Amino acid sequence: MMRPRWHKALADLWSNKMRSLLVIVSIAIGLFAVGLISTTHAWLGLAMRDGYAAQNPANIIITAAGFPADFVDRIRNLPDVQEAEGVALVSLRVQTGQDTSTPIDIQAFPEMDEKQINQLTLLEGKYPPADREIVLDINKLEDTAARLGDTITVQLPSGRLREMKVVGIVRDMTIGAGGMGGGYFIASPQGYITFETLAWLEQPELLNQLHATVRSGDADLEHIQSVAGTLMDEFERNSLITISRAAMTSTAHPNNPYLESMLGLLVMLGFLVVFLSAFIITNTLSALLNQQIQQVGVMKTIGASRFQIRSIYMVLILVYSLAALGLALAFSDRAAYALLTFLSTRINFNLPAVQPVPRSILLQALIALIVPQVAGSLPILQGTRITIQQALSGTGSGNADRPSVVYRWLAKIRGLSRPMLISLRNTFRRRLRLVLTLVTLILGGAIFIGVFNVRTTIDHYMDRLGKYFIADVNLTLSEPHSIREMTAILKQVPGVVSVEGWAGARAELVEPDGSVGEAVILQAVPTDSTLIEPILTAGRWILPGDENAIVLNEMFNESLPGIAIGDTVRLRVNGEETEWVVVGFFQFAGKSGGLLAYTGFDHLSRLTSMTGRSMFYRIVTAEGMHTLEQQEELGAVLEAHLKRQGIEVSEITAGLSLNETTARGLDTLTTFLLFMALLMAAVGSMGLMGTMSLNVMERTREIGVMRAIGATDRHITRLVLVEGMLIGLISWVLACLASFPIGKMLSDVVSIAIFSMPIDFVFTATGVFIWLGLVTILSILASVLPARSAARLTIREVLAYE
Amino acid sequence: MESVVKTFRTAAAPVTVLKGIDLSVLPGEFISIVGRSGSGKSTLLNMLTGIDHPTSGSVVIGGTRLHQLNESRLASWRGRNMGIVFQFFQLLPMLTLVENVMLPMDFCESFAPAEREPRAMQLLARVGLQGLETKLPGAVSGGQQQSAAVARALATDPPILVADEPTGNLDSRTAEAVMALFQELAAQGKTIIMVTHDSLLAKQTRRSLVISDGELIHPAVSAALPRAGHDLLLKFHHLARPVHLPAGAEVPSSLQLGIVAGGTVIAGQAVWGFGRLVDLAGLRRAGGNPRAGSQPLKLLVLDEAEVRSLAESVRRGGQP
Repeated sequence: MMRPRWHKALADLWSNKMRSLLVIVSIAIGLFAVGLISTTHAWLGLAMRDGYAAQNPANIIITAAGFPADFVDRIRNLPDVQEAEGVALVSLRVQTGQDTSTPIDIQAFPEMDEKQINQLTLLEGKYPPADREIVLDINKLEDTAARLGDTITVQLPSGRLREMKVVGIVRDMTIGAGGMGGGYFIASPQGYITFETLAWLEQPELLNQLHATVRSGDADLEHIQSVAGTLMDEFERNSLITISRAAMTSTAHPNNPYLESMLGLLVMLGFLVVFLSAFIITNTLSALLNQQIQQVGVMKTIGASRFQIRSIYMVLILVYSLAALGLALAFSDRAAYALLTFLSTRINFNLPAVQPVPRSILLQALIALIVPQVAGSLPILQGTRITIQQALSGTGSGNADRPSVVYRWLAKIRGLSRPMLISLRNTFRRRLRLVLTLVTLILGGAIFIGVFNVRTTIDHYMDRLGKYFIADVNLTLSEPHSIREMTAILKQVPGVVSVEGWAGARAELVEPDGSVGEAVILQAVPTDSTLIEPILTAGRWILPGDENAIVLNEMFNESLPGIAIGDTVRLRVNGEETEWVVVGFFQFAGKSGGLLAYTGFDHLSRLTSMTGRSMFYRIVTAEGMHTLEQQEELGAVLEAHLKRQGIEVSEITAGLSLNETTARGLDTLTTFLLFMALLMAAVGSMGLMGTMSLNVMERTREIGVMRAIGATDRHITRLVLVEGMLIGLISWVLACLASFPIGKMLSDVVSIAIFSMPIDFVFTATGVFIWLGLVTILSILASVLPARSAARLTIREVLAYE
Repeated sequence: MESVVKTFRTAAAPVTVLKGIDLSVLPGEFISIVGRSGSGKSTLLNMLTGIDHPTSGSVVIGGTRLHQLNESRLASWRGRNMGIVFQFFQLLPMLTLVENVMLPMDFCESFAPAEREPRAMQLLARVGLQGLETKLPGAVSGGQQQSAAVARALATDPPILVADEPTGNLDSRTAEAVMALFQELAAQGKTIIMVTHDSLLAKQTRRSLVISDGELIHPAVSAALPRAGHDLLLKFHHLARPVHLPAGAEVPSSLQLGIVAGGTVIAGQAVWGFGRLVDLAGLRRAGGNPRAGSQPLKLLVLDEAEVRSLAESVRRGGQP
């Protein structure tokens, strides 16, 4: 026969099923959140690191003017190289409508079916395609307006059109790898064709990008960079012109900065959730112990020691914890998988074959065993410490029946109806419970508001970044033209106000030992340009009369630690080594921006023998033409106009399109953050629901009395609802205050991950008001059930409660 | 209250707590219901206040069939028509005394909002709580809390006052004050129904009913045997057989023992009225000739042999 004391523990659990359910659900929510977070953490790592590595990504990507196929064999035979492949990379345009088109990057592989590096995952259809067929990557598929089985129309440089059947949809996890200027999120749609199709597309059958993997040390970036240097030397030895090079480890998914920020946030939120759950558990267990005070007294009277009484409640908590653990384990993996599925489409990874994560299960089990016991220890200690006399007389629960200072102060509030006063004063009756409930709601709310601030902060920063691209339309020609003539031609189009010719060149850092280092985008702007407003962090901008002056972005500090104003930087521009004097530093887009430098147009054009000519034009339109649609429309008009003049356009983009593409990446982050904030809000409202249920449970008698003196269902429901909403409202005010430090912290985590630095924090009222609406709804929802059960209480039940 | 039966379903077996109670209370009456713990007096009170529903039978107050109203309407009806005083005061701890008294007026929308506070102050003054109006219940004594509870019960000026052990937790002086207040209210025309286990307190009411094991003892039986325990009274209640005789009629010689429940019994110069136990056989043996008085006689007749056997078992100390 079970010993009576353990029977009591089980009977306590079973006798008040609602309360037991509340405790179990409170614990389970915390465990669920921890399970969700730790499992997502593990699976994300698996998908983004191991999943990426499984595609055998290139460790080295060298873009060159062109190289023959046998050169690839030579590279493959180098001692440090595991595998090497040549790719022909071409940029064309694909029609998306009657007058609209979008750029598409097409890769052609000589031996498509034997491709080893940067492997693609076939999602639908077939791979490899036959000649004159195309396989598209899923990520930007929408932009091409094509689906599997459709035929896309490709515009050739000659103006001819070619129709290609889409025979397969793949995922290319390497999009943006080693890429500069934004990588994945601003990449064009990607297509994959056979090498033999190139000629049909009027493209030279020439390899122009080398992909290579290293034989060993694929996690050692320094080693990879040194191998890349050897490869560059090989290009040079063979008199082949290189344009850029990139080195990366086999686990460095291009969207790792986003992953890192998400993982950082996950860990932070994980801690918070455990903390909040502990609060909810403490609240619930305090209430439970309060209801058990008299029984504690009786047990003490008949000889139970404090330890024996504590052990009863500890066993009770253990049973609650185990039930909660079962509940959490049943749901956390499913939710983690749903989250992973959402992220896979946003940050480009294949859903891995997932298995339960032992670490996550262990973590949940440990938390289930420890946190409720720790959270319950205080109420248990307090509950078992009271004297028999206090316990039996019911005075040991420390309740608010004896007026406190707060209460006396609240008693002075006049002018409200009695039911409203009841709600108001009830709110403050269990002060510890109120504080714990508020903490959960405040943190949930502050994170929620903080997410909006993070978004606004990044938007604000993106606006500032937009000042580097003030022009409404950016035009790239296939070959240089006279700036004077181009300006005249472009101004013939109605709406064009001014034109600037810019210059750009691919360059590489020259290391102190003379070897070629990382690629640099070198932009040259007219010194009197009104189309760029840089965020200068030190020094000055380019001035008229500057010769080899250069202004560098923040990434140079990582590549050339200690670099300062007045220092000299050696760059190889168009194969020529040149020296530049650093006159200033500007802030750009961190890691995703790569190495970016600005110099004066005149100097660079002289250096590249293009004086007075340019391929790159920045066009400003008349007032009232600054929306993305208007810019795109004008772009189409300009393209048609230039075509009529016999000028071939390579690319034409609306000024605002950069903002749009960047926003996509950030949307993923903010959606993810919002999801986490909602999870916190759910934990918070669960806490509120628990509190309201406990309040109702404890006030059963009072509710019965109110019924006895004439309170209707409506009165009772309103009392509980108003109390819940008051708590929600108080939490809202405090969450608004707490959202400043929490928003700043979140903003720093995200901006350091994306931009490699904290950016200026901007506060927005949007989150504040949305949270007000949401917390009101949550408060109502959290109070509705307790209110309904309160309204259903009959006085007879109240008397039974006595 | 007509033929009210209340049966609770328990895990072991159904338990009938009220066994066909009939009770009529006239407006302005001050009655007490006395019973021991477990006798069913609280259940009876729950039926009267609409707190609980009878299994069968009906409760009609002022023409309203209580148990045809839903919980919410009943609460509203109760707030307007019935003031309840609980044994444990049951003031809401978060409201001051005056706010507690104003609360029923708020709930029931009785009296104009501006009148509510002065009325509550007046009621508190009437129960002797001047100066304590803004105190929270936790800050005043138990007696003061009960006084405030009485004031609250009067807040909506209900015609009926129901009190459940109103003096159970009070010292004797405060208890007396509360009873005096009830007397005063009864004199003003309020109907007061008080449940108590204290028979001395019950004596202060105009009518006292004894409830035992779910049955109301006939008032004549409890009046005839004032010192008998409730179980014994119940036995007598069960043994008694009502006999009605017209005015002046001779009591049949077959009747040996009877309790007068209405009218009078006359034998020679002697007269026995309501609640008197009359040894009819003894009277006859002494040469008297018992007969009904000038009113029709209601007699609760007892069988002498059964009464003797009952008395014998009580004498032996066994259960009656």
